Amino acid sequence: MIRTTAVPRPLRVGAAAASVLGIAVLAGCAGTATTTEDAGSGTSSTDQSVDTTDEGTSSGAATYTDGSYTAEGSYATPESVETISVTVTLADDVITAVEVTGNPTKRESEQYQSQFIGGIQDAVVGQDIDEISVSRVAGSSLTSGGFNEAIEAIKAEAAA
Amino acid sequence: MDHTADARWDFTAIGTAWQIQTVLPLPGGIRDAVLRLVDDFDRDWSRFRSDSLVTMLGRDGGTAAAPPDADVMLSAFAKLSHATDGAVNPLVGEALARRGYDPGYGFVDAGASPAPADWRSLLTWDAQRLALSAPATIDVGALGKGRLVDRVLDEIAPWVEGRIVVDASGDLAVRGGPERVGLEHPYDPRRAIGVWEVTDAALCASATNRRAWGDGLHHVLDARTGHPVRTIAATWALAPDAMTADATATALFFDGGPALAHAWGVSWVRMTTDGRLEWSPNCKAELFS
Repeated sequence: MIRTTAVPRPLRVGAAAASVLGIAVLAGCAGTATTTEDAGSGTSSTDQSVDTTDEGTSSGAATYTDGSYTAEGSYATPESVETISVTVTLADDVITAVEVTGNPTKRESEQYQSQFIGGIQDAVVGQDIDEISVSRVAGSSLTSGGFNEAIEAIKAEAAA
Repeated sequence: MDHTADARWDFTAIGTAWQIQTVLPLPGGIRDAVLRLVDDFDRDWSRFRSDSLVTMLGRDGGTAAAPPDADVMLSAFAKLSHATDGAVNPLVGEALARRGYDPGYGFVDAGASPAPADWRSLLTWDAQRLALSAPATIDVGALGKGRLVDRVLDEIAPWVEGRIVVDASGDLAVRGGPERVGLEHPYDPRRAIGVWEVTDAALCASATNRRAWGDGLHHVLDARTGHPVRTIAATWALAPDAMTADATATALFFDGGPALAHAWGVSWVRMTTDGRLEWSPNCKAELFS
């Protein structure tokens, strides 16, 4: 795990939108040496993506333009300066794929952590919630009231 | 067993959606008791209310009668803070507010500021009293919702037969039977990264995707720096009670989390921001691969 506070240069269109959707959380984190795909490796990701930042296909009620958004950044480790690239794919205001590429150095506290960790899987696999027979889902807290209203206001500014 | 016919009661409290599922509908008197309980908790602990105990105490410091949950929650905070080398701190409220997560939901970032590292000397408590020796903002977000889930379950359980699920959106407790719970993908709420069956236990999740606002800011800060965490995207912890599960889910954003989980006998799963999964020894969750 590489700790860094460096954030890739924000995108013009993507900046506020990315933050609201949690994309920018990715930004400071270095990936494994290989490209990591998460949601896109599931069953139903057929969303079209485009390579430019400011252009894309606009779909109906979506607040953001569909497409792929890429940001690059660099950060210093004790040994070197690392660079990473984060690409996020948006479709109908939902993040459908995240890719992080880079050449990170070894994990900070590998030795310390290993005795308390039972296993590691290099790439997460997402499955459609409708297809896995669960009665409820545990993730981040749903928000309500003032938080949502304030976030909506930020989204409106981002889309303007 | 099919629980689709169970009764469900939805309400909103402490800024999130709650659902209580029981075999038979909850009588009105029990619902009223639950609503009183969560309102009392909110009035004691919400830093978003101008009339709450923590807001009034935090303005100038001082001493107040200890609310019912003070000792159990703050004692757990002491362990959390120690295990994470100070990354978790109950006086992180001001640092969160400065980053924009303030009572007015201003979401205007005034920069990173650490929480007071010497919080143990500023904030003192026992069974009777809660005291702050200087102005500071208490924020029990690291485990408070889990504690309230436990309180609500304890309120209901004596009056209800059969299975009970108390789901506070992210933190849930199950008694009297199994519940299959999907682990929500932090970057795509239509997907799950695994399934965990919960029986007579609590499963708490924490992720950085929803309570997030400008420029990479979200609600999980490292109290030592005031910066949001960037290496872990989501955590899930299974424990006998929800407060322990919630506290562990918070600790797992930091280096000391796995060791604390080991000490508490809590099993867990977490996902890094670069899409890797880690899990504890003896973890029974089914993770997709």
